[in-house]
Amino acid sequence: MRRFSRWFTIGLVMSLCLIVPLSLGVSAAKTIELTYWTHTDDNRTEIEDRYIAEFTKMYPNVKIKRVVNEGSKMGDLVLTAFSAQNAPDIFNLPIEQQYAYVQHYRVAPVDYKAAGYKDANDLRAQYLDGTFDAVTMDGEIWGLPLELTNWCIYVNKKIFRDAGLDPLKDYPKTWEEIANVSDKIAIREGDIIVRRGFDFRYPYYLVSVLPMIEQLGGKLLSDDGKKAIVNDEAWLKILEYMRDWGPHGRNLGSPTYTAPRKIWNKDNNDMAMCVSGFYQQGRLRIDNPEFYDSKEWMVIPFPVFKDAVNDVACSYYGHYMMVNAQTSKEKQEMAWKFIAYMLDHPMEYLEKVNIIQPRKDLLESKAFKELPYMDVFMGDMERAHIVFLHENGYQFERFIKEAVESVMLSGVQPKEALDTLRERIQEVIDSEL
Amino acid sequence: MQYNKRFSMEQKKAVWGWIFVAPSLLFFLVFSFYPIFNAIYMSFFKKNLLSLKPPEFVGWGNYVYLFHSKTFWQSVSNTAVFTIGTFIPLVVFSLMLAVFIVSRPRFQKFFQMALYSPAALSSVVAALIWLLIFDPRGLANQTLNTLMRTSGVNYHWLSSSSMLRLSTIIVYFWKYVGYFTVVFVAGIGGIPDYLHEAALIDGADSWKDFWHITFPLLKPTTLLVSVMVMIQCLKTFSTQYLFSTSGAPTRPIDVITLSIYNTAIKDHNIGRASAMSVLLFLVMLILTWLQLRIAKTEDVTYN
Repeated sequence: MRRFSRWFTIGLVMSLCLIVPLSLGVSAAKTIELTYWTHTDDNRTEIEDRYIAEFTKMYPNVKIKRVVNEGSKMGDLVLTAFSAQNAPDIFNLPIEQQYAYVQHYRVAPVDYKAAGYKDANDLRAQYLDGTFDAVTMDGEIWGLPLELTNWCIYVNKKIFRDAGLDPLKDYPKTWEEIANVSDKIAIREGDIIVRRGFDFRYPYYLVSVLPMIEQLGGKLLSDDGKKAIVNDEAWLKILEYMRDWGPHGRNLGSPTYTAPRKIWNKDNNDMAMCVSGFYQQGRLRIDNPEFYDSKEWMVIPFPVFKDAVNDVACSYYGHYMMVNAQTSKEKQEMAWKFIAYMLDHPMEYLEKVNIIQPRKDLLESKAFKELPYMDVFMGDMERAHIVFLHENGYQFERFIKEAVESVMLSGVQPKEALDTLRERIQEVIDSEL
Repeated sequence: MQYNKRFSMEQKKAVWGWIFVAPSLLFFLVFSFYPIFNAIYMSFFKKNLLSLKPPEFVGWGNYVYLFHSKTFWQSVSNTAVFTIGTFIPLVVFSLMLAVFIVSRPRFQKFFQMALYSPAALSSVVAALIWLLIFDPRGLANQTLNTLMRTSGVNYHWLSSSSMLRLSTIIVYFWKYVGYFTVVFVAGIGGIPDYLHEAALIDGADSWKDFWHITFPLLKPTTLLVSVMVMIQCLKTFSTQYLFSTSGAPTRPIDVITLSIYNTAIKDHNIGRASAMSVLLFLVMLILTWLQLRIAKTEDVTYN
């Protein structure tokens, strides 16, 4: 009997040793853990946390970890993670940054079936024309748009009136008028500007300054992509315009002052106009509800130069949801299911986060069309194109930044700055060819 | 018993020594030596950080490119300006402050803590604080206008090339002067009191005591501080990075580390960035060796 019980105990222990890991293995195989990296946005966090809860209830074997990073650091973090082969399963970034990930096949093409579409054409049919141009390669679509954004000019009417201007009649339509109106509005204590009329969004040269060059007939690269800087005259005019804008010219603004969109919401009589997207309204509603409800602000189209040869508005850019190509097929499929589930709430994203998903059903809805100044944003969207996309786009933007700022702040002559810019961009192009 | 016979006391001590040193040795191997050798290896390749393609061997190509690159030499020059501009005041003032603190009969700890506190701040936070100060409407312009009895003059702390360089030097000086002062205070504390007492009996005043007793005997500490300051200055990054991303022109403050960051992270060119890192490493190594060699001319003893 004792012998039997000893053997029975040994058998039981051995069975447990086999069964427990096996059962754990089975359950581990069934559980899919997805990591989703995105940038900070409290309003979006609120709704996306709820979507995650709903989705994981529908798919109990799925766990989703949503990691929020500072927007300005997201690019570096995602890049480092990808280069260390330790990237998240799902992520979003501005398309200027994501473009290189598509070019290097670091992301997976959309799994149409998992996302609820028949094929690529069925997906395209649901969205505004051109939505997928930036993320189409080899006939496949490589990302689903979280948002498509363009910028217009927000105007504080009170400051206009304070400067003796009628905001409805005197609002600037051209870049020459922007400078003249800003000069009238500006209040200076000696050299120091304490109230600015307008100021640029300096780091974003591809989105907002390159279209100004295009208005004058200039381009960053020739059509075949082999030559840097097309139309020197246009580029020189922009560099001269920026030099005149800066502290050594008409002293209307400078990159060293606080970013306009950060102070415009406060309505502190220090910033009359700023360039921003539709999302600014959502932030204004939270930051300063009194000003939001006051009707003392308005939105006007992106200006053009008086002698512009192209009517081009500020470029629009997008944040696309992408899936890491190095994660397992099973994870990729579930990731696309989850992305499609999140993005299937375009109206809530619009109402709660103020971001526009370019879905036709949303854009054609009455509620969308009735949103404040949506006609201005959509009007500008029609005369705009997507932001300049190139594998080295970010590098080019840095070179443009250095050229503009050297002219504005360091006293470098526009011609010299342009020659340096051309040389640097050409060198990059030549090394790629 | 056999164990005791087989190993002498010295050998046993050595074994334990290795056991205690092993964790830090492993740490250095993984986090210092491996990245150094990996950077040296990568510097001979052309590699896009995002590409899945294998790196392409280019031999000395990255180094040849750098020696012909105007941008690289500009960043070398910026680093030299920053290092010289920071190194001298940092060493001189931290020594002066240390002597001042040691000479105080009271509040020595308070002075040390007050001076050291900026070193405890993260570099990013320090740069953010100074960005507010250097804002055209900030404290720096207000203070200078008050001191110079001017009104509304913008001294272009973050825009004019020379002022921008000065701004980065000020931030670095403010952040690290306390740290090196504390190191000097510790060095001065290590000089035996009887030497000062003997000098006093011989009729030396405090000035002579400093120049003939304190300063010569502080040589090892001065050497340590100067090597540390120089290496720190050559590695400077966060202030320049934060300033350049906050609207200041990049060109005057594009130091080598910032250039390495932009080349690797923004341009995805990890091979070229590695070559720049290797060159910076070699410069640091040579300068440190030179300092040690110059300082080796005579040893300091308290006899």
